[in-house]
Amino acid sequence: MRRALFAITGLAASTTVMVVLKGSPGTTAQVAQDLPTGRPPVVPASAGPAPADADRSVAPSRAGGTATPRPSRTATRAPASRPSASSRAPSAPRTTTKPPPAPTTRTVTGPVVENEYGNVQVQITLRGTRIVDVVALELPEETAQSDQRSEQVDGRYSGSSGLVVQRQSAAVDTVSGATATSTSYKRSLQAAIDRAN
Amino acid sequence: MTYPRAHAAGRRTGTTSSRHGGRSAADVRPLVPPRRGPGGRRLLAVLLVGGLLASVLPWWLDTPAGSLRSTAATVTAAGRITGLIAGYLLLVQVLMMSRLRVLEHWVGGERIARWHRDVGATLLVAVLAHVSLILVGYADLEDNSVLTEAGVLLRDHEDMVSAFAAAGILVLVGLTSVRAIRTALPYELWHALHLSSYAVLLLGFGHQFSNGAQLFRPGPVRTGWIAMYALVLAALLWGRVVAPLTFNLRHRLRVADVVAESPDTISIYLTGDRLERLELLGGQFFRWRFLTRGCWWQSHPFSVSAATNGRWLRLTVKVVGAHTAGLRDLEAGTRVWAEGPSGTFTAAHRTRERALLIAGGSGITPIRAMLEELPPGAALIYRARTPADVLLQRELDWLAEARDTAIWYVVGSRDDPGPRQVMSPDGLRRLVPDVAKRDVYLCGPPGLVEQSVRVLRRAGVPRRQIHLATFEL
Repeated sequence: MRRALFAITGLAASTTVMVVLKGSPGTTAQVAQDLPTGRPPVVPASAGPAPADADRSVAPSRAGGTATPRPSRTATRAPASRPSASSRAPSAPRTTTKPPPAPTTRTVTGPVVENEYGNVQVQITLRGTRIVDVVALELPEETAQSDQRSEQVDGRYSGSSGLVVQRQSAAVDTVSGATATSTSYKRSLQAAIDRAN
Repeated sequence: MTYPRAHAAGRRTGTTSSRHGGRSAADVRPLVPPRRGPGGRRLLAVLLVGGLLASVLPWWLDTPAGSLRSTAATVTAAGRITGLIAGYLLLVQVLMMSRLRVLEHWVGGERIARWHRDVGATLLVAVLAHVSLILVGYADLEDNSVLTEAGVLLRDHEDMVSAFAAAGILVLVGLTSVRAIRTALPYELWHALHLSSYAVLLLGFGHQFSNGAQLFRPGPVRTGWIAMYALVLAALLWGRVVAPLTFNLRHRLRVADVVAESPDTISIYLTGDRLERLELLGGQFFRWRFLTRGCWWQSHPFSVSAATNGRWLRLTVKVVGAHTAGLRDLEAGTRVWAEGPSGTFTAAHRTRERALLIAGGSGITPIRAMLEELPPGAALIYRARTPADVLLQRELDWLAEARDTAIWYVVGSRDDPGPRQVMSPDGLRRLVPDVAKRDVYLCGPPGLVEQSVRVLRRAGVPRRQIHLATFEL
């Protein structure tokens, strides 16, 4: 029994130590530098609870709405159908492999927008003033749920044939069930568009 | 009363089978089994701790330093760590109960039972911490109350209903294993509850992969985690199904005779095929399943009460419950399903050349078997409440002569002057002057064992020289 108490104490102590070590603010600056494009300022999400509530309130519609064009839940397990977990990888080559027809092609990176589920950062590719591609550099994917929502948002907005390229603006419909991520996405996107013009 | 090598046989009621009892003593094997060191046990302990670290490592690598800025993130992170630990410990628990021969050899059934109990307590706490931390963390993140969040988890997250069920069963199993509660329950009920922990393994499986932050992505971590499950399942299948099946098909044990040793103790003699190939050490036990109408569904651990002799096995059982009462009526020829042998309560696990054995009541049975395999010069203190509780005395006296063993029968209640005098550091040292240089083997009622350990420690016996026989599982 003494050993069990020892083990339980060890469990509590080591969990605390690990959380404290990872949470120590002294290392935050270093992380910011690790971000792919660390220059843009971090824009904190203004409304704390509001997006969360919105997310929740539309949750049933998401659960029932199989019509949304996105990988199904079960597909989360299949290794092949995981565009979002590596959202940077599959879409990034598209910008480079595309034959550069004009020298006016440029990429603009939006700021990191933080929400309670994680960070969102969007990069757009423009030819002249036309948006030809959108890539999400960062999306919340820490939990299976938020990963799935990110996947929805990414699938709907990003890519050379996504909603953003079709509309040529950040005024796109919010993905139901993923309000917070959609909002952050649009915010980073809008900032990128503003910066490009 | 204390009888130094005295013959209190006349005081004893009950019958001894001279046919069997006399014979067993005549088959004394002079063989002392070779020693088994603690190397295997230490290796396993290192492997298990290494696995624990490896199971938390994915979280450590996935979490950027400084990323836990809000309370919700911190609490959720702690919930994830405890979740990973709980998932790993559950596998360890099942592995330890897989009855793999290697584990029994390296660690021994008694010690495994102790590990299992300690890890079990930790697992219970880890699961409770995981559930509550995740609930609080998520509730904080989504601005819900904890109860609402529990509802949300159950409704919106995949596999969470079964995960909650798994946690419920685990808590139930854990609580009924708390000693005070467990002793109040019938063994059968406790055992049935404990078997339901396999359901925990099954029910808890899904949510780790559909919701686990470190496991829901395909990759080496997920593959490794699934591989651990597969490994434990394979061990379980081997230790619980394949190995017992081969053993029982090879030896085909059956009841030869049931003999009363005292009014409330019986000896069951078993025969079988190829018993000369049975690798059994004195002091080890099997889990026995007597294949009769009323008994087949329960298995109970009993020590073998005579060293292996190639012709028969014997177990001596005190009649205490409904199951053991039924054993009186076993008929010759009844098939017996045995799982084992298990246990490190053997002469092979000694660290010193000489031994002191302390037995209480029916706890004599493994010690009686071990006496045949200990090097000469052993000493035995046999505690019994009344002379009628002294079992197998004729054999013991015979062994004492044949193997140069000193035996003291210490009869009386715990508070009588004789037993009190013997069970003190001074008393022990007077009987066995070199007690601190001996291995001490203890088997008996918990009260006696606890008291003896205390006294032995005060008499200067190092803990690693004290061997306990426990049949907790």
